[in-house]
Amino acid sequence: MSFVFWAALAVAGFVVGPIVAHLLRRGRAREREFPAAALVPPLTSTARQRSRLEDYPLLVLRAAMIVGLAVLGATPLVRCQRLSLERNQGASVAMAFVLDDSLSMRDVLSDGASRWDTAKKGASDLLHSARTGDSVAIVLAGRPARIALAPTTDLAAARQALDDLRVSDRATDLGVAVALARTAVRSLPQKDRRVVVLSDLAGDPIEDGAPPAVTPLASLAEPASDCGITAAERRAGHVTVSVACSSDDAAKNRAVEVVGGESNGEVKASSGGPDAGAKRVAKGDVLATAHLGPRRGEQTLSFDVPARGDVLDARLTGSDASAHDDEAPVSLETTAPVVGVVADPSEASAKTGGPTVIEQALGALGQGWVARPLAFVPDDENGLDDVGALVIDDPPGFSPEARAALARFLKRGGVGLALLGRRSASTELGFPLEPFARGAVRWEEASGLGIDATSIGWLGVEGKSLAAIARRGRARLDGTELDGARVIGKWSDGVPWIVERKVELGVATTVGLPASLDDSDLALRPGFLSLLDHVLHQAESRKGSRRTLAGVPWTFSAAKDVAVTGPDGALVVTTEHGDAACTGGGDCEDTVARAVPAVRGRYTVKIGSDAEERTVTLDPAELLAEPRAPKMSTAGSSAAGTTFVDSSREVALVLIALFAAELALRIGRRIAARRAAPAT
Amino acid sequence: MIPETPLRKALDWGRLAPLSVRARAVAEGVYSGSHRSRKRGSGVEFGGHRAYVPGDDLRFLDRRATLRHDRLLVREFETETDRGLRLVVDASRSMAYRSEGAPGAKLAYAALVAAALARVALTGSDTVSLDFIGGENARPLPPLSGLEAFERIVDVLEQVTPAGDVLVDDDALDRTLLRVARRARRGVVIVVASDFLDLPDGAADRIAALASGGRIVVGARILDPAEVTFPFEGPVQLRSSEGAVHVETDGTHARAGYLAALEKKMAGFRERLVGAGGRFVEATSADDPIRVVQRLLEAVEGAG
Repeated sequence: MSFVFWAALAVAGFVVGPIVAHLLRRGRAREREFPAAALVPPLTSTARQRSRLEDYPLLVLRAAMIVGLAVLGATPLVRCQRLSLERNQGASVAMAFVLDDSLSMRDVLSDGASRWDTAKKGASDLLHSARTGDSVAIVLAGRPARIALAPTTDLAAARQALDDLRVSDRATDLGVAVALARTAVRSLPQKDRRVVVLSDLAGDPIEDGAPPAVTPLASLAEPASDCGITAAERRAGHVTVSVACSSDDAAKNRAVEVVGGESNGEVKASSGGPDAGAKRVAKGDVLATAHLGPRRGEQTLSFDVPARGDVLDARLTGSDASAHDDEAPVSLETTAPVVGVVADPSEASAKTGGPTVIEQALGALGQGWVARPLAFVPDDENGLDDVGALVIDDPPGFSPEARAALARFLKRGGVGLALLGRRSASTELGFPLEPFARGAVRWEEASGLGIDATSIGWLGVEGKSLAAIARRGRARLDGTELDGARVIGKWSDGVPWIVERKVELGVATTVGLPASLDDSDLALRPGFLSLLDHVLHQAESRKGSRRTLAGVPWTFSAAKDVAVTGPDGALVVTTEHGDAACTGGGDCEDTVARAVPAVRGRYTVKIGSDAEERTVTLDPAELLAEPRAPKMSTAGSSAAGTTFVDSSREVALVLIALFAAELALRIGRRIAARRAAPAT
Repeated sequence: MIPETPLRKALDWGRLAPLSVRARAVAEGVYSGSHRSRKRGSGVEFGGHRAYVPGDDLRFLDRRATLRHDRLLVREFETETDRGLRLVVDASRSMAYRSEGAPGAKLAYAALVAAALARVALTGSDTVSLDFIGGENARPLPPLSGLEAFERIVDVLEQVTPAGDVLVDDDALDRTLLRVARRARRGVVIVVASDFLDLPDGAADRIAALASGGRIVVGARILDPAEVTFPFEGPVQLRSSEGAVHVETDGTHARAGYLAALEKKMAGFRERLVGAGGRFVEATSADDPIRVVQRLLEAVEGAG
C-alpha cells in the first residue's frame, strides 16, 4: 500500500463524510432538548424541503473544494503527464512522427483507451507544443509504411492531417516506417531532428540509426489479450475459420459461430440453382458453433454448412481487448492463388532430394499460395491464366509461343521472376530471354563480390543477409535491360543484380543469380524469402486475388471505371502513372487505378459493368506479435521530450472559482430571503 | 470554597454557585438598593399589652397603661409575629434546562432567588419555609426563623436535583400546594418559583387559590433565555423535558408561532394570579438576580 493509496483513501473519506452526514441530517433533523417543545408548531415538510433544496448546492461545492484542495496539496504526486517538446536552447525542431496504424493499435488497454487513441493524443500533445519554425512529418507504420504528411512547417495543416488519420487493420511495418521518417527529416535544415515512434513496437525491433528513434509512450507496450478471426472461407459445403489468439487467457471459454450475414435480406428468393426455394438464412442466425482451444497461437476450425448462396459471417463469442476483429465475413468459394515454379529439380534441389528450394521457400512463406511445379513455360497462351505469379529458375531461353504466353500473362497483371544463371547465358539462337532480358546474358566467374545492401533496402532487414553471399559466378545483366527496366538491386561493384520492368499491369523481375545450390547459396538466405514475398505481394495486388490482407493495394486497368465499396463505404480509387515505384521514363506513361483496402471485411468491386466481391482479411502475425517494451535509452522522458505538466495553477483557479460560487450562492440566498421577508 | 459533591454536580449551577455566597450578595444588594426594612412595612398593627419583663425594649413601654394599672406594661404588635415567607420551588425535570450562554440552569437561578428572599426575610425576623414541586432529595422545611435557618435553607436548595414529571405525576403539585396552604396563615407571602411550562392543566387556578384567606401569592416565572427568544435556525427536532413531546420543525419559520403560544400560556397564569390578588413576575436566568428579588419584593408590597 503506497502513500498515494492512503492519501486517495483519505480524500475519499473527506468527500464521502459530508455526503453521509448530509443524508443522515436530511433524513432526520438534529434532536435537542427544549422544555417548551409542546408550544413549538411542527413544520416537518418545510424543514425537510429546506434541507433538500438548500444544502445540495453547498454540499456539492464543498465536496468539490475538498477534492480541489486535496489535488492542490498533492501536486508533487498528482501531475498531468503530457508529452511536450524539450528544446535545446530554444532551437527549432524537425520532428517525424511514426504513428502505428496497424491492427494491434486497436486494442483497448487497462486505462480504457485504445493504443491508437493514446498514440494519437501523444502526437497531438507534441504538436501543440511545437512552435513556428518547427517542421513536422507524419509516417504511418501500417504495412505498407507510408508518408501521411510530408515535412511541413504549417502546424495547422499538421494538426488537421493528424485529426484525419484513422486506424486500420494492416500489419505492422515499423522498420520501414522508421527508415522513411529518418529520410524525411534528414534533409531538413533544423539541426535538432527527432523521430518519435508511437507504437506498441510489436514485431521486429527498431534498428539504430540517425536521428535516433524515441518511444515516449511506454504504456503502449502494455500487453493485451486479444483473439481475432484472421480469415474465413467457404469451400464445398465447409466453412473454415482461422483464429489467432495472443494469449491463452484470450482463448479461454470462447467459441466461433458461423452466422447469417448482412446482405441476405437482399437476395431474391427466385434466384435459380438447386437451392432455389430453400429457406434462406436470416442475419444473425447461428448455423454452427465450435469452441476454441485455450491456447495461444493460430487455430483453424471447420464447420459443415449447407452449400447455398447465403452470405455468412464468422464471429467470436466473449470479449477481449479489441471487439473489431471478433467478426469477419466468410469469403465465397475461391481457389487458392497459384504460383508457378519452373525449375529443374536436378539443379534447384538439395542433394537429399525433395521439392526444389523455390517450392520449399514458398511453403515457408505460408501465405496461402499454392506452388505448382511446371516442367516448362507453357506454350499455350491460356496456360498461365490461373497463375498469379511465375518463378523461373535459370531458363535456357523462351520459344516464341512461350514468349507470347508470358507477354499475355504479364499484361493481365501477372508477376514473373526469372533467376538467370549458367544456362541462361547459353541460350540458343531464336530463344531469347525476353520479356526478362534483351538478348543473352553473360555468365562470369567472379569472387569476392557481394550484394550492395543499400541498393536492396526495400527487401527489409533480411536483405542484409545477401551482402556476403557465397557464389561461384554471376549473370551480368548490364546491357541486357529492356525498355522501361530499372535497376533495383546491385552488386557491390555496381553491376545490376535485380532489374524490374513493368509490362502493363504486370511486372517482370530479373535476378542475376540462379536458385541452384551449386552456383550460390542465394536460396538459403533470408533475403531470398524476402524477395519471393515481394513478388507474391506484387502478384496479390495486381492479379486481384479475391482474398487479400488488409493494406495490400488492388491495381486495376485505368481503361475502365473502377468503384470499390467496403465496410466503411466507398474506397478512394487513385489513378497513377505506372507503378508507384516508377521513377519516370520507359513505360511509365501507362496509367493504372489503385485502391487500398485498409479494413477487414467484404468489398464490392465494380470494374466497368462487371462486379465482383472481394474479402480483406487480417494478418495472423499482427495478432500474435507481442508488444515490446521500449529500450531504456529511448523511453526516458528527457530523451523523448516528455514533461510532466504541473497542474496546480489550473487546480488553484478552479478552487477559487468554487469559493466564488459558494459566496455568490450565499449572497443570492440572502438577497432572496430579504426580498421574501416583507411578503411573509 | 464550596465542596463539589455529586449532588451539586447533578445540577448545572454554572456561574450561580456558590449559592450561599451569591444569595448573601443578592440580599445585600437588595438592602443597599431599597434602604428599607421589612419591620417598617405598613402591616405593623397594635396587638395588646403584656407585663414588662427585664430585657424588653423600653421604647415599647406604654406610659398611660402603666399609670392606669400601676404596673409596667409593654405594647405588642400582632402582625409582626404572623408575617412569614413560604417558598415553593419547582424542581421538576424541565428546571434542569440550561441553554448555551445561560449562566446556569433554571433551578439554580430559582434557588438563588429563593435563598436571597429567605435571607431578606430572615433578616427581618420573619419565618421562612421551603417546599418543592417534584425534585429528588427535595426535603421540605417547616417555617424557620433566625439567621441560622438561612444555612439550612441553602443546604437543602443545594442538595435538590431536578427530577420528576409533573405532567405524569399530577398529584405532586397538589401535595405541595396543600402542605403550603396548611402552614400559611393570614398575611403569609407565598412565592412560587417555576417555569410554569410543564404544570398540569388547572395549575393556574390551584396556585391562585392559595391567595385566599389573606395570603399573598407571587408567581416568579423563571425561564431560560432560549425559551424566551427561540434561537433555533433551520431544521431541528425538539424533545420536551417532561411529557415526552417530540417536535420536528424549522426554527426560522416556527419562531413567531412559538413566542405567541408562550405569551398566551404565561398570560393565563398572570390573569389568574392577579385576579386572585397576587402578582406575576417574569424573569429569565440571564437577568440580574438583585433586580429580580427587588421586583419580587415590590410585587409583594403591591399585592399587600
